[in-house]
Amino acid sequence: MDARKINMRLSVEEIDQLDRYAKGTSDQKEIAAVEDRMNSDASYRQLAKEHLALIQVVVRHGERMRVRQLLEAAHREVNAEPALAEAGTAAGSQASMISSSARQTNQKQSRRFEVGYWKLSGIAASVALISVVATFIITRSLKNEQSANYKELRRNVEQIKRSQKLMMDDIAEQKVAPAPANYAGTSFMISSNGYLTTSYHVVRESDSIFVENEAFGNLKAKVVYQDRENDIALLKIPGFVLEKSSLPYAISKKESSLAEDVFTLGYPKEDVVFGAGSISAMTGYKGNPIAYQISVPVNPGNSGGPLFNNRGDLVGIISGQQTQSSGTAFAIKSTILLASIDQAPDSIKTLIRPSRVSSQKIPSRVDQVNEWRKYVFMVRVYKEQ
Amino acid sequence: MYYFDELIIAEIRKKNEVALQELYKTHYPMIVHLICSNNGTEQEAKDIYQDAMIAFYERAQQPDFVLTCKIKTYIYAVSWRLWLKRLTHKKRYHGSFEVAESFLRVEEEMRSIEEMELDYDRMNEAMNGLGEPCQSIIRDFYVKGNSMEEISAKYNYTNADNAKNQKYKCLQRLKKLFFDGRQED
Repeated sequence: MDARKINMRLSVEEIDQLDRYAKGTSDQKEIAAVEDRMNSDASYRQLAKEHLALIQVVVRHGERMRVRQLLEAAHREVNAEPALAEAGTAAGSQASMISSSARQTNQKQSRRFEVGYWKLSGIAASVALISVVATFIITRSLKNEQSANYKELRRNVEQIKRSQKLMMDDIAEQKVAPAPANYAGTSFMISSNGYLTTSYHVVRESDSIFVENEAFGNLKAKVVYQDRENDIALLKIPGFVLEKSSLPYAISKKESSLAEDVFTLGYPKEDVVFGAGSISAMTGYKGNPIAYQISVPVNPGNSGGPLFNNRGDLVGIISGQQTQSSGTAFAIKSTILLASIDQAPDSIKTLIRPSRVSSQKIPSRVDQVNEWRKYVFMVRVYKEQ
Repeated sequence: MYYFDELIIAEIRKKNEVALQELYKTHYPMIVHLICSNNGTEQEAKDIYQDAMIAFYERAQQPDFVLTCKIKTYIYAVSWRLWLKRLTHKKRYHGSFEVAESFLRVEEEMRSIEEMELDYDRMNEAMNGLGEPCQSIIRDFYVKGNSMEEISAKYNYTNADNAKNQKYKCLQRLKKLFFDGRQED
């Protein structure tokens, strides 16, 4: 290696020759000469290969800078068309895509009319068509895949009512509690002045929302903040103030540990249901870093419910379960909840005051659950059909 | 097997700029959704997406590139891997890289992509270390494909031979910068 560095260097002519060889502008004789020499002269071969590799990277580097500019230009167009910003709005965005490519073609046309306008616009049109068809097919298949494995746990009341009715027909006496709501989930208090948290997917598309539990009865609530990305929503019960100045549990600021004992309270039926288990993985569905995987039995209706640790601190929000394997559920981490609250508008953020410290002594699980359940509510979501 | 996708790749191999830009616009919302629902911002989504698109573009130019899945799957899988990598850097993701749903050869792809990435970063550094006019001369000759005569006129050299000598010196320096950087790694 050192010998090469000191003695060997390609001459200006040799480099010229190699440049022509790399560009493909050499004639047959020159190609043969270069290749012959590479085969016979080992030190030349090494230097030549080094040079060819170097200019290959130079070319790629230049190409990449050009491509990045192209993508930046495309990006500016994306931003100019807000219709494209929303994922999965199929028809509308594709119509605008066609028009934008037509616009682009117009620009190109004026720039290089002499190159051949017809050829260019033909390519653009066919490409737009290809991408339109390709996206359509692909989005559909992708959607199927997602819904096949991951199930959000809001309860479709109609469905459950029907199956319940079948059961109840056998037990003639018992009456099914009328449940006119469209969807139901769970919610819990995070601030003594009437702020609650639940899953975004529980309250999306809602017209009116009621929360209910044994301690406080049926109360009307409204959605004050939605964080679709993290599947978090904040509700407020107007005019509600807790007698105590603070809640008995705090929102955990650090992530839980693997195997930590956790429990949840939720409303998969009209009565509160307790479920316990542990943190079984530090990531959620498909390795999603914002959620835990938990081995807590959950059912439709548990969505939006709190996940507490042994001390009773809130560590997560139940969000969904994997459909293929039983006993695998997911909960959004409390750290994500805190970050999400932090993103909320100031008018809401400043009013939310979760307890800073958890309760001093750890009560027995039974006492704890009996106290904690006061702050867990069933959510009923109504919407216009 | 992927008829439309093969067509798109053929266009991209021909360096059809419109095709690339249309492809970019088509899948952008998907990646924004992916990144934003996994702790990222739209700006981060844009960075990751552009890196993935460039990787795809460069891989598509290579003769050994074979499409083993849909372009959309490819871009999705590569973006996801790049994002996990970035999350690991930010120490927010400690999981393993098991992405069962992605296409079979994603491991190999990521290796070639990372190799290209390394070359690119080193070349970036070498080019920046090279300074002007060397940087521009090298680019004009090798990337833009200008002739030595054109370069000699552009940079006011008395003749093409002088320009060629200058290019030669620049190239030797670039080589040193580029390969010495590599040896230090």
